[in-house]
Amino acid sequence: MFEVRNDEPQYAKLNDTTSDKANRYGKAIELIPLEDTVSLKINGEDEIGCNPNRNKQHGFHFTADNCIGCHACEAACSEKNDLPAHLAFRSVGYVESGDFPDFQRMNISMACNHCDNPVCLKGCPTRAYTKHPEYGAVIQDPDICFGCGYCTWVCPYNAPQLDPVKGRVEKCNMCVDRLEVGLKPACVSACVGNALNFGVIENTPDNREQINTSIPGFPDPEITQPNIRFQMNKDMGQEVTRTDSMQIKYSKNDDGQYVPEVDEKDGLEKHWNLSRLSSSENPLVLFTLSVQASLGLFFITTIGSWLGLDAFIAAKQSAMYIPMTLLALALSAFGLLMSVTHLGKPFRFYRGFNNWRHSPVCREGLGISGFLAFGGLHLLSLLPSWSFMPDVINSALGITPAIAATIASAATPLAALAVVSGAIGLYYMYRCYRIPARPFWNHRSTGAHFVGNALILGGVLTTLGYSFAVEDSAAMISAGIAASLIGIVLEAVGLLNQGTELNTAKHEGAVSHYIQKTTFGKTYLLRNGLIAFNALVAATLVFASFPPILALVWLAIFITGVISTAVIGRALFYVLVIPTTMPGAFFWKNKGFIEHARDIGMDHMPNTGVVPARH
Amino acid sequence: MLFGRKKKNPIIIKNKGAVEWKYTTCGYCSVGCSIEIGVNAEGKGVTTRGVGGADVNRGKLCIKGLTEAGVLDSIGRGTTPLIRDDIEGEYQKTDWDTALDKTASEFKRIQEKYGPDSIGIVSTGQLYTEEFYTVGKLVRGLIGTNNYDGNTTLCMASAASGYKRSFGSDGAPGCYDDFEHTECFMAFGSNLSEQHPIIYWRLQEAIEKRKKESKPKFPIIVVDPRKTMLGQLADYYLPLTPGTDLALLNSFAYVILDEGLEDAGYIEKYTNGIEDFRELVKDYAPELASVICGIAPETIREVARLYAKAPQAMSIWTMGINQSTHGSDGVAAINNLNLITGNIGKPGGTSLSITGQCNAMGTREWSSCSGLPGYRVLENSDHRKEVAKFWNVDENFFPEKLGLKQTDIFPAVETGKIKALWIIATNPMTSMANTARIRQNFKDVEFTVVQDCYEDCETAQYANVFLPAGSWGEKDGCMTNTERRVNVSNAVQDAPGIAKPDLWIFNELAKRWSNHTKMKWPETASEVFDEMAELSTIGKSVNGNERMLDISGMSHDIIRASRGIQWPYSKDDHKNQFNQAEAVEIHGERLASPTPEKIHKGNTRLYSDGLFEFPDGRAKILSLPFNDNNERPDAEFPFWLNSGRVVEHFHTRTKTGKVGNCNKFSPTPYMEMNPKAAAALGFKSMEYVRLESRRGDAIAMVQITSRLPENMVFIPFHFHNCINRLSLGLLDPHSRQPAFKQSAVRILKTDQAEAAKINLSNRNF
Repeated sequence: MFEVRNDEPQYAKLNDTTSDKANRYGKAIELIPLEDTVSLKINGEDEIGCNPNRNKQHGFHFTADNCIGCHACEAACSEKNDLPAHLAFRSVGYVESGDFPDFQRMNISMACNHCDNPVCLKGCPTRAYTKHPEYGAVIQDPDICFGCGYCTWVCPYNAPQLDPVKGRVEKCNMCVDRLEVGLKPACVSACVGNALNFGVIENTPDNREQINTSIPGFPDPEITQPNIRFQMNKDMGQEVTRTDSMQIKYSKNDDGQYVPEVDEKDGLEKHWNLSRLSSSENPLVLFTLSVQASLGLFFITTIGSWLGLDAFIAAKQSAMYIPMTLLALALSAFGLLMSVTHLGKPFRFYRGFNNWRHSPVCREGLGISGFLAFGGLHLLSLLPSWSFMPDVINSALGITPAIAATIASAATPLAALAVVSGAIGLYYMYRCYRIPARPFWNHRSTGAHFVGNALILGGVLTTLGYSFAVEDSAAMISAGIAASLIGIVLEAVGLLNQGTELNTAKHEGAVSHYIQKTTFGKTYLLRNGLIAFNALVAATLVFASFPPILALVWLAIFITGVISTAVIGRALFYVLVIPTTMPGAFFWKNKGFIEHARDIGMDHMPNTGVVPARH
Repeated sequence: MLFGRKKKNPIIIKNKGAVEWKYTTCGYCSVGCSIEIGVNAEGKGVTTRGVGGADVNRGKLCIKGLTEAGVLDSIGRGTTPLIRDDIEGEYQKTDWDTALDKTASEFKRIQEKYGPDSIGIVSTGQLYTEEFYTVGKLVRGLIGTNNYDGNTTLCMASAASGYKRSFGSDGAPGCYDDFEHTECFMAFGSNLSEQHPIIYWRLQEAIEKRKKESKPKFPIIVVDPRKTMLGQLADYYLPLTPGTDLALLNSFAYVILDEGLEDAGYIEKYTNGIEDFRELVKDYAPELASVICGIAPETIREVARLYAKAPQAMSIWTMGINQSTHGSDGVAAINNLNLITGNIGKPGGTSLSITGQCNAMGTREWSSCSGLPGYRVLENSDHRKEVAKFWNVDENFFPEKLGLKQTDIFPAVETGKIKALWIIATNPMTSMANTARIRQNFKDVEFTVVQDCYEDCETAQYANVFLPAGSWGEKDGCMTNTERRVNVSNAVQDAPGIAKPDLWIFNELAKRWSNHTKMKWPETASEVFDEMAELSTIGKSVNGNERMLDISGMSHDIIRASRGIQWPYSKDDHKNQFNQAEAVEIHGERLASPTPEKIHKGNTRLYSDGLFEFPDGRAKILSLPFNDNNERPDAEFPFWLNSGRVVEHFHTRTKTGKVGNCNKFSPTPYMEMNPKAAAALGFKSMEYVRLESRRGDAIAMVQITSRLPENMVFIPFHFHNCINRLSLGLLDPHSRQPAFKQSAVRILKTDQAEAAKINLSNRNF
């Protein structure tokens, strides 16, 4: 048990005498009957703490007027949890408003809010997260985590911290060891401005009046129903700005709520910034593109033939079907390999299937694996009857033509299963990015982007693979490229739709779009131009007839065009996203400074709090 | 509700592995927080926590205190003495005897050749009081140079000087408890929330207490050109023009005297000088002062009335007042304000200087930098006699007048007066104004000794001999905090390598002078303290009373049991306040917690009886005309350059720069700039810019914020090769403290890649 000193100050002690039955969202505060609570087995100890409220949901209370940004909470947390400089379970950022001398800075200290709807728990594929009925603490086990970082994407408050050095996530543990003996968490006990407090949720702390759910800069509480309450009497005026590099400001709407909008800090000049397209998410660029290409390739031929389209029936019957199916499987396998290299702890990859009940990441992985399994069996079932199959092997295995035909009869149901699995995989790949805390992704255009690219890349591969293997090459080219054309149109419509919405949106997605149009402005124009160009080339390939040589040249141009577009587009997709996270400070939790420190080599000084990026 | 795993894994909560907690006092600033160092199974200090039962901090610590164990395991520590003939050459490792022999023989050679005062000795506010007392004894009693001072001249000299001029003695009359009694609080040039977070918390607690008792909040007035978090707490925020505080203070006095709001009884009974003062302040009507200080006349009147009418009102101040060309006058003017309103020595009514370093007060009291130990002065023959007899030194060996202050010692190199330097636990290469000039001074002397915990402190690059010292947590001794509380700090581990506590170094060096055998050189800090306690009662105060700075009732054990005691604390006080049985009870192995009633606080306030340290016992109301002699912005250099501290760093970053969980909040120098000014010059956030002053240039990163006016920029002073390449540092005539905060710069665009390279090359830590 945590040691309580005999001179422990009163302010460090929990003092909830009463509590409500349910919170404002209608959820019970008493999570289970007290007698049903169990030992938290903190560091293996079986003892149960003496806290009489241990069965109730607890939460932080933050008096924004009082925070002086002194970092005592952060230091106390780092000290208690033995954290290196680059990692913090609690961080203080700030926002500002007004002109001198009518100026206000509001500091915001934020850790995990131990939400009613723990999106981290739901998102985590490894089931590293548990929400305990004791205190309602959401606790993550770094020893289970394999470092995919998905929880850091879905959390709107930037609570889970991905450690690039250890390759795993760690987060606030609510200091449950202190709670067990009736002490408030270390950060709260350390607070020098009397800003932080802690207790049973919905209880108003001593000397405070408000238990509001938001302050300027705090993300929409509806996303996760966080267990934090606020008091703020300070008037922050009409517009609130951030000092970190994020191009967001907050303006007061008619309801008195602060909503994010674009702060054109970096002007309107358009840049290339091609080198910035490369990020630690590069493996995911390769993963999603290759899986989408793989699924596109398999789906176009399979479904095309089922629909009775001559070109695809011919393709399926051609000798190239086996190698092309193998290619499709290889691409998916390569994609999965890429996604595994993206993990902080790649050898724990198998844990990715632990949370199929809740995690889209898990279901995505299951779907793609199913596709690989069924696709593989489908391939095997066709092998004996493949025209290039050496007879010696068949006879060595004792497979007669009759047996081969019987085996081949399983091919269609297996293909159907592969299509279903693949579709599930692709759907959950899309669901993975429908994250309320990442508005730029949380849009149907992400679906259009993914399906579009599956069609574009799949169409190209189909064309390349089968045009020479079938009699009517021209028809094959037309059919394959037609699939690509549908994909291009789908993606273009999605992007147009998203762009139009984001131009007037009031959330971080609008800021992503602003960055897209400025920091990456020229790259963005190039990508859009390429899409139009690709569409034009595709249309000519589909609808005009060419002499073979010219067709080949056109095809080469088209392939170059679509691959460049896909890579640029997907890289933009990852680098542009802006989470709804809390404002940072000028150095700490400032993306701009972190990038700068890495650019000039300051990331090799551990005392800077920036470590080299993980690649 | 979704809970995840049904069969739950054990929860792993890491910790730093402390198995035992040892009592000490924080080694950073002057708040004087009681700390327990957590020691792990290997006997290493690994973490810290605030002591719940200690009156100062009541369990709290600021970021620096919370991460202070980080300094016990720091890079850049000196582990062995180093020596070299030429400062351009490479250091050679050596033993203590060689290093100390060399030091002594060089000092003697130079004194022989150029005279006894040719050695400049600059110490600090970072040593323990016993170490100060011992180095003072060594310098005044054996070495005999009169050019001996501490870096406190950069920090608290104006406060000490102002106190002496108003009250006849140094020593802050108030305490933190005053927040809980005051009815009006005014802060001048104090970023309390960043510089002294725990004192800020005590203020916040006082505010909360009144709220809980449903009493109205006491008014808070903050005078500061930059709107800090304390400024945001203010009911009246007064953004005055830099360096014009004296005009504002005289104007407050004008209103109070003009409207008859003064405490006539107090003035009549306890002060001198009111007639002259009345004459002087006639020139400072709010309408006239307003033109100088930039505060609206009506605001000046309102604030003056509020302050004068409050039953008890208190003022605090820090560097905004002290670091000024008229810092001493500014302090005296704050004292004037409190004298004419009767706010000295009463609960909630005081003139409280918030000090800088952990033992700035200890150095003022006992280091002999400002004369002789125990607030004695060289100019007083009784004091010379008392100390000479007590130390067994020839009385004539003491000079009859105080020598040069730190800020004059370095320029004296240029006139050939100083030929050797001994720098103790301070880093003038970063801390002094006009770095280029100081750099040249170090090149021009014949011999330099640097005694420091850190061999990577920038000053060490100019030493002929480097003496590696023990740090906080590696040695024993006492410190005095802002409210005169003496508290004790103990070693939890040994210094690295063969580094030694400063007390040992002073004692060993003393052995190189033959007269040392006539004097006493106690080996342990506790014994040194007992000697100081004895000296503290010898003689009388100039007002005929017992000496004010009386610590005769204290010893290390008594202080530790009480978690610090405020002086004066005489033997009689001890008899009356201290219960031996309780002390034994609370001073156990684990220092179980005394309840606050059982703590022996000493004396919380000075001058409560209205008796001051002048021969007639009356305080002086001083007439202080305002002269504006600062460098001001002009067409060529259009911006005020303001400086200050950030909460995560201490002084020249030799400690906090290496503690990642401090340093990460500002790892590189930055410049705050108003958005309008930035827009006009085309600067973006995080862009490097080049600042130029009449002294030099520097690189900093732009942070755009409206917390300061359009014609001002602010740079934290902690960083090497940054603000002090630009600063002017004109000196106060009384205290010789530099005006760090008022000079003029221009700001230019610069090549970003080159600037980043320069920035990185200046950041070894």
